[in-house]
Amino acid sequence: MSESCGNPNVESEAVMPRKAKFDKGKTCVKCKENPGNLVIRHAVYCKDCFGPLISSRFRHALEPHINATPSGPRRVALKPTGDLLVGFSGGLGSTVLLDLVHHSYLLKVVANVSKGGKAHPRNNERVWKNVRACYVEIADAFPGMKDRIEDVRAAVGRYDGVEFVPVRIQDAFDPTWWEKVSGKPAPPLGLDIDLSDEDVRISSSNSDSTPISALHSYLRKLPTPTAVHSTISTLIRILLLYTAHATTSSHLVQGTSLTSLSINLISSISQGGGFVVPQVTQEEWFPRTSPAPTESATARRSVRVIRPLRDIGMKECAAWAWWNQLPIAGKQKVPVSRQTIDDLTKDFIVGLEKDFPSTVSTIAKTVAKLAPKGDAGDRCVMCELPTQRSAQEWKARIAIRSFTAPDPSTTLSPATSLSPLLCYSCHTTLTSRSSRGAIPAQTGMPVAGPPSPLVPLPAWTVAHLAAPADTLEPHGCSPSDSTREGEQHGEVWEAKKLSVDDLRTLVGDFMLDDDS
Amino acid sequence: MTDSQVLNLKVEFGGGLELLFDKKRSHRVALPSPPSSPPDAAKKTPADINFLIHWLKDNLLRERAELFIENGTVRPGILVLVNDTDWELEGEGEYVLQEGDEIVFISTLHGG
Repeated sequence: MSESCGNPNVESEAVMPRKAKFDKGKTCVKCKENPGNLVIRHAVYCKDCFGPLISSRFRHALEPHINATPSGPRRVALKPTGDLLVGFSGGLGSTVLLDLVHHSYLLKVVANVSKGGKAHPRNNERVWKNVRACYVEIADAFPGMKDRIEDVRAAVGRYDGVEFVPVRIQDAFDPTWWEKVSGKPAPPLGLDIDLSDEDVRISSSNSDSTPISALHSYLRKLPTPTAVHSTISTLIRILLLYTAHATTSSHLVQGTSLTSLSINLISSISQGGGFVVPQVTQEEWFPRTSPAPTESATARRSVRVIRPLRDIGMKECAAWAWWNQLPIAGKQKVPVSRQTIDDLTKDFIVGLEKDFPSTVSTIAKTVAKLAPKGDAGDRCVMCELPTQRSAQEWKARIAIRSFTAPDPSTTLSPATSLSPLLCYSCHTTLTSRSSRGAIPAQTGMPVAGPPSPLVPLPAWTVAHLAAPADTLEPHGCSPSDSTREGEQHGEVWEAKKLSVDDLRTLVGDFMLDDDS
Repeated sequence: MTDSQVLNLKVEFGGGLELLFDKKRSHRVALPSPPSSPPDAAKKTPADINFLIHWLKDNLLRERAELFIENGTVRPGILVLVNDTDWELEGEGEYVLQEGDEIVFISTLHGG
């Protein structure tokens, strides 16, 4: 063996020296005086400089997006068009976020009221008139989980001027909740979908199940633990968005740290959410039933979803919470298998951050440069994110989805099938089965009555399906656009399985004779 | 064992880790000296944080060791502070403990 390659048997001691976790000395890189207290991606900061650094990164990520028109680097007066809703899970990130919001926009105003000049009350009006913290309780989805609304209420209660808004996960299936947040009557009849086939057929629901039993039924029929995890996240996201809309909030902020953002991005892409990568970082959401965007900005009432901790890692969040003595109520884990895509991605990214902290930052910054290819069609009726046109056609083209040929006589219309109205990710979540079989029974959700392939739909999906076509589309696309996937340039394309004889006829000219 | 062989430390847990340690955030710990290594038994091995981590696992941890320790050190996602300073500045697990040190373990894995 040549010397350049080295011989591990001989040179067992010749290991590469470990690289220091910090680039320069142990002195703070900011003040260059104090001994450092924390290493943040190879840079050393003292405790005194750490606080202003985190506040500054938080405001830098949030404030350019407060005004309806992004203000850019120039500092202008902050005038949001509505209130602020903080998505609060009780976890580390959202606890730090709520503390920063209170510290930056509520506490300072109170402290400055007796001063003049720049600190004059006229120049220090509250940015948001009302600040609310919304907590979505998922305990009723899984038996054995502790209801923590009162714990979280106490955690939010530490901050004066923040109103607590509790929501329960089963509200997603509650027509009463839908009427409250949308201001419109819920459709008289619910809708069921059949998850046993890929067309996800829709039928009218005859059952008068409670929201909790509808939620249990929905989760129980999902094909994989990953789908359960993903569905809980989607339900929480939509509940937060409609709560923001109902509370006249122009901004919804979430405590997604840089580490969590990298996890979410990788996890979302691996579950088929590549088309909505920009929305994982920031999103401008319009309720599907609101006026079109051609109308005035005030009439539009969009909700801007911002993640102001996107430049702050989990480590910095932990240090902020410890040094400011913030109690962490704790976020409850969804009690499904640890082998979900979300959990595996989290383990990978957190492990990566330990040895290569800058790489985690690179993930978020690289993905932020990605733009989806192709036009957005309608929005998905389930997750309300943009869908890629022709997603289902592409899916049918790249993989064998069934061993039996589709019957052309039973072409499904959007009135009977949910598939054309779903994004690729939601369709995969609902229909993609694990090669290891159905979801394990460890979720322990109660089973009521005989098994049925039908599951109820969330309230907003039922309302969107029942709504007239002209209110379905805030983006100006026809709702049927996404259903005409095969139709281009006046041609109608149809996928059809050919028999062996038909195939032989088609390729016959290119086949060798049997006797040659 | 005499008192001179014991290090008195303050050990704290945060971010949910306290749930694994009897639901107590703060512990006063009398850490014994680590056993000497066989080739040079007369020479005392100083107690470092790696030794403390294993001692905590054997003596204070009540449940689910895999949430605290992994591959002989703390699990990724746990921030360790030595006297209010990131342990990465102090040599991580090889930091030699001193009498009266305050060691803090904070979990960062409690979501967003």
